[in-house]
Amino acid sequence: MPLSANTARVPSEKVAVMTTRSLRREVMGGNCKKPATAEFYTVKRIDNSRLVRHMEPAKMRNLLRTAALGGVIAVFFMLYVYQHFRCIDMSFQLEDLKGKQVQAAELNGKLKLEIATLRDPHRIDVIAQHELGFKRPEANQVREYVNLDGAEVAALEYTRLNRAP
Amino acid sequence: MEQEKVHVRLLTVAGVALFWMAAIFGRVAYLQLFRHSEYLARAAKQQRKRIDIAPKRGVIYDRNLRPLAMSIPVQSAFAVPSEVKDVGMATRLLAGVLGIPAEEIRQELESENTFVWIKRKLAPDKVEAIQSLNLKGIYLQEENQRYYPKRDMAAHVLGFVNIDEKGMGGIEERYDDLIRSKAEKVVVMTDGRQRWYDGGETLHDRGANAVLTLDERIQYIAERELAAAIEKTHAPAGSVIVQDPNSGAILAMANWPRFNPNAATNSPDEARMNRAISAIYEPGSTFKLITLAAAFDQGLIRADEVFDCENGAVTVAGHLIHDHKRYGMLTVADILANSSDVGAIKIALRLGSPKFFDYIKGFGFGTPTGVDLPGESRGLLHRLDHWGSYSIASVSMGQEVGVTPLQIVTAVSAIANGGLLYKPYLVQKMMRGNQVLAFEGPETDEAKRVVRPETAATLRRLMEGVILHGTGKAARLDGWTAAGKTGTAQKIDPATGRYSPKNVIASFAGFAPVNNPAVTVLVTVDSPGGFPHDGATVAAPVFKKIAEQVLPYLDVARDVPLSPQLMQTAYSTKMENDEAPLDDLAPIDFSAPLEDTKESVKANSTQTTLQKLPEVMMAVDEGGDIAVPDFTGKTMREVADGCLKLGLNPVLVGSNLAIQQVPAAGAKVRRGTKVTVEFGMQPARSGKAH
Repeated sequence: MPLSANTARVPSEKVAVMTTRSLRREVMGGNCKKPATAEFYTVKRIDNSRLVRHMEPAKMRNLLRTAALGGVIAVFFMLYVYQHFRCIDMSFQLEDLKGKQVQAAELNGKLKLEIATLRDPHRIDVIAQHELGFKRPEANQVREYVNLDGAEVAALEYTRLNRAP
Repeated sequence: MEQEKVHVRLLTVAGVALFWMAAIFGRVAYLQLFRHSEYLARAAKQQRKRIDIAPKRGVIYDRNLRPLAMSIPVQSAFAVPSEVKDVGMATRLLAGVLGIPAEEIRQELESENTFVWIKRKLAPDKVEAIQSLNLKGIYLQEENQRYYPKRDMAAHVLGFVNIDEKGMGGIEERYDDLIRSKAEKVVVMTDGRQRWYDGGETLHDRGANAVLTLDERIQYIAERELAAAIEKTHAPAGSVIVQDPNSGAILAMANWPRFNPNAATNSPDEARMNRAISAIYEPGSTFKLITLAAAFDQGLIRADEVFDCENGAVTVAGHLIHDHKRYGMLTVADILANSSDVGAIKIALRLGSPKFFDYIKGFGFGTPTGVDLPGESRGLLHRLDHWGSYSIASVSMGQEVGVTPLQIVTAVSAIANGGLLYKPYLVQKMMRGNQVLAFEGPETDEAKRVVRPETAATLRRLMEGVILHGTGKAARLDGWTAAGKTGTAQKIDPATGRYSPKNVIASFAGFAPVNNPAVTVLVTVDSPGGFPHDGATVAAPVFKKIAEQVLPYLDVARDVPLSPQLMQTAYSTKMENDEAPLDDLAPIDFSAPLEDTKESVKANSTQTTLQKLPEVMMAVDEGGDIAVPDFTGKTMREVADGCLKLGLNPVLVGSNLAIQQVPAAGAKVRRGTKVTVEFGMQPARSGKAH
């Protein structure tokens, strides 16, 4: 039951006595018809001054300000440490990738060597002649086209395109 | 009272805590402030690791950027003997895997060295086998292995490398400092598990790549035809050089015997010799070109001037010299065409030794050409004051003078291009990445004029005569004009010290086409067997075969109409029935529209697999559709106007009125063809003999 103005905090030396009538009025809103009885209530002495310190607002603000500053510094410090270890971690990853790049480059070199070997003209010549049965045409085994028209130019282009790069 | 006890306890705890913290911070401060450098060095020693980067050679390409030599990383096995616990077991296992005698391995493992090679540059399967052994003290290190994927192609030009990737011979040696990168040491940072977390910076001095003037296809053609000639004649040696006469670039340099640079140490020294630049020989009749060039340039002779060849014998300074045939009266053109020694001697005698010597030196004989290859010989040319009374006669015939094939082809190129002697070279450029490097190569920009353009034009015409109706008929090309000179030089028999009638050096030097030459080719065959074994029989056909393959490859337009022969080239496949009748062939219809033509070609080609023998007709460009007018008797202005109107390139030589022209009047040529017209007085018709 909330204390009304009549029963506000009073010094411990004093004991508040309330009549029944005033209480009833207090409780019932003033329009009661029951007969009043004498009741005594004592107010407990609650001295919490030693537990709940009264802080001065100025000091509180200083404290909060200091705590905030310390917190920011701590965050920055943690961020720095995090970046440092993150950097080391990424260095490991970078070196892993560099290693893979080197391996890929080596494989590329080996494949280029293989391609060059396979493109050896002597090897192709041997395969063409001995395995596929090709014959090298003589210089006079050609047909001379005079007055090239559109279709023959196309054929000529086809012949030229046939040359290997 | 109790409060005081609590207070004391609190103070005691606080004091102990304070003391503890002070001790810790004091120690930290001591380590950081006084022992900082010491611990920093210890950390660096633990974390830093030095890695050796093996030198890597750049790639050598041909002119079309086809790789001819390249390096790839391979693993090499090494041992730290102090770490090998069980030498016997390690020896047995390694000997079994690598195929090396166990004693050799044992000696290495028992040595006191801290580092010994077990086997360098291992094959991948050997590397896996060693890794699987997991022997303590045996490690693998990465090195680079040089490979030549075309095997013995252009081996004498490329050279080879030793086990330490150092160039030995050829381009590998000549440009070793550029092609080979330097060995590097790289510092890397590692963690406790030896993982790298900071790879360090490598030096930027990678090996440079070399782009040669060689063309892989032309090189193959030259090597193949030389090998065929060697096989046919059972000759022990020979060489072929193909050069661009307009720049001095060498398109092919083939030698026999050959070697494989991938296993160079297995070949004898003789096979590794680059005969094209090192072998000295007496050129024989090909040297008559120099004799005639000198005489023409001095204005001492004319092409139609007649000389008495004394029925094939002449005495000079007490020496009787015989011709290979009894020639009587010959024009200068015929002297060259028929290769008359007597005629050449008479021309040289008119020239005189001093002037003749100057022209010989001018053409580059007696000095190295300066080609960018090691081991070039300067040839053999006696000083003028050492010439005997007979020397002029000998030298005019191509004896008593030693030349290399490269010197001859360079001199012939000078005649082909109008009188400019270019320095031959093999390296087009050196590149590192995309950057072209400046390097010390032959000074290719400086060409020296050795004869006048009209002299060169005259000689070209005479050399064409050698092929048309002289000793070089076997070199006549189908579809192109060609000019050249045969040579058959007797070798000195070491047993007798005299010229041997059996051992000769057969050669042919020529170029094609005559007008606007695209290639100069020299073929030399040393001591061909059989009979006849002269330049006309042995070397001239090789020139023909090479030129007829190289000219279409270089898209050189034909300047001689082909005889209208149509032949069918059939694929012969491995079938039981090889006698497929030609009637079944489906000809390709070139008259169809473009898309259909391509489709029909594709369709036909798919039919050829194993069922039919298809007909293949190779369509080529015809020679041209511009008829060269007859310029005889016209002035220079008229000739120039006439050429320019037709889209031809006039080359005007001499003065007065036009007397000669190449190509001849009426020849069909393409737009842009060079037409050489010689101007002068009409020649006298007296024909007085000399």
